[in-house]
Amino acid sequence: MKARPEITEQMLDEALAWHMMLEADDADWDGYTAWLEADPLHRDAFDAVALVDAAVMDNRTAIRDLVAIRQPESSSASPSRRWMLGGAVAAAIALVFAVPMLRKDGAVSTYRTAPGESRDLALANGTNVTLSPASTIIVTGKDAAKIELASGEAYFDVRHDPSRTLTVAVNGYQVTDIGTRFVVNAAGGRFHVGVSEGIVSVTSPDGGRAVQINAGQQMFSGGGGATISSVPAADIGSWRSGRLSYSDAPLPIVAADIARYSGKAVTVDPSLEKKHFSGILVIGDGTRLVDDLATVMDIRVSPQKDGYRLGAAASR
Amino acid sequence: MSSHQDNGLKALYAVHRTELLRFLTARTGDAAEAEDLLQELWLRTTRHDSGPVGNGRAYLYRMAQNLIVDRLREKQRRMARERRWVDHETDFVAAGTEPADRRQTAEEDMLAREEVATLVSAVMNLPAGARKAFELHKLEGFSHAEVAAQLGISKSGVEKHMAVAMKYLRRALLD
Repeated sequence: MKARPEITEQMLDEALAWHMMLEADDADWDGYTAWLEADPLHRDAFDAVALVDAAVMDNRTAIRDLVAIRQPESSSASPSRRWMLGGAVAAAIALVFAVPMLRKDGAVSTYRTAPGESRDLALANGTNVTLSPASTIIVTGKDAAKIELASGEAYFDVRHDPSRTLTVAVNGYQVTDIGTRFVVNAAGGRFHVGVSEGIVSVTSPDGGRAVQINAGQQMFSGGGGATISSVPAADIGSWRSGRLSYSDAPLPIVAADIARYSGKAVTVDPSLEKKHFSGILVIGDGTRLVDDLATVMDIRVSPQKDGYRLGAAASR
Repeated sequence: MSSHQDNGLKALYAVHRTELLRFLTARTGDAAEAEDLLQELWLRTTRHDSGPVGNGRAYLYRMAQNLIVDRLREKQRRMARERRWVDHETDFVAAGTEPADRRQTAEEDMLAREEVATLVSAVMNLPAGARKAFELHKLEGFSHAEVAAQLGISKSGVEKHMAVAMKYLRRALLD
């Protein structure tokens, strides 16, 4: 996709080695100059290393503090503490928009975000919702008794209150909880539920038995079945701090997210619908997500009239 | 060379001017920018009045290197800002409530927070050894030798961990 020659892994290794060696007082600056002159790409490789180092050094205190908060639970994972940390990071980072509190008794309120816009909502019942870009929720009743996620993704932070439960409807499924933190993502006929704290139960439209999803677990549904798998609790809702994190997510869900963040249609070739993706994509302004995914997954991106189509990479 | 050190950096600069220009040209790939940087380096040496330095030649090279990294970083920030501005300009204009300077500060804060968030998450996801070495060396400021002693591994072991960490962070930040 890129015509420009790329920095190789070996150049990067050499750049890293030079970067370390130049810290010494008796550094070999002549040797370093000769290395730079040997190939213009060496300069690019060194720039990349120097910029990473500068980004770290410029933010050293902030990084150290945030990493230190999250330190203790790295060995034995305690989901609730882990989450607090995630919360602290998110609090430091989250885009805080105006918090509208529409409270027409018994009325239906629709909250919708545009592509590129994220929004925090404080609902009447004490539930805090963060709506990700290009998403819609419909809230009914004066205590926000019914919430429906119509499209996109939302993060729910529900205050513990033994006297009531909160239900989020998605694609006809009911996601019910009592005091917890979780995300729900609706992408066409599919959906994803990830729990970072507490427990939620999910009931299917045909009234089958409820399935419990615990903290550190996620459920993917659609495309002919539902699966429950584990996920790092701190990754849940990471889009609130600028990253899309996936653990074994079906490609159509990933594509739908990218469509919401980039504002472009992203279709998936049927041959790739069963493919799964694990990894982190930095959201940035949303325009690079599709290329980044293509690079990591080795798939082909073809421009379409109003967006992109993801297809299998040409076999070599 | 020790006789030049007594005359301070200015004299050293005169001695090493040619090779510094060659270095700057190789480092930037741009003859005009190299000349410009050399000029700025000279200005800094004239302002430098703290007397002789340990290894003057290395000191000059390091000053030159730092100037380049500062410029790179500034360019990176400017590009990120501009990218955002293009994206959000219409929204902001439509909203029409925020003065331009506050808007720009908010944008810069947001970029900085995003950078920190990306780095923190990348550090948290590092393999255990690389993470420990990275934290001790980059965040706590211990030398490679000190980190090696604390972790009970060799110095080259620390260097390998650091290379893993830096590559990982690069991927998180740039790609």
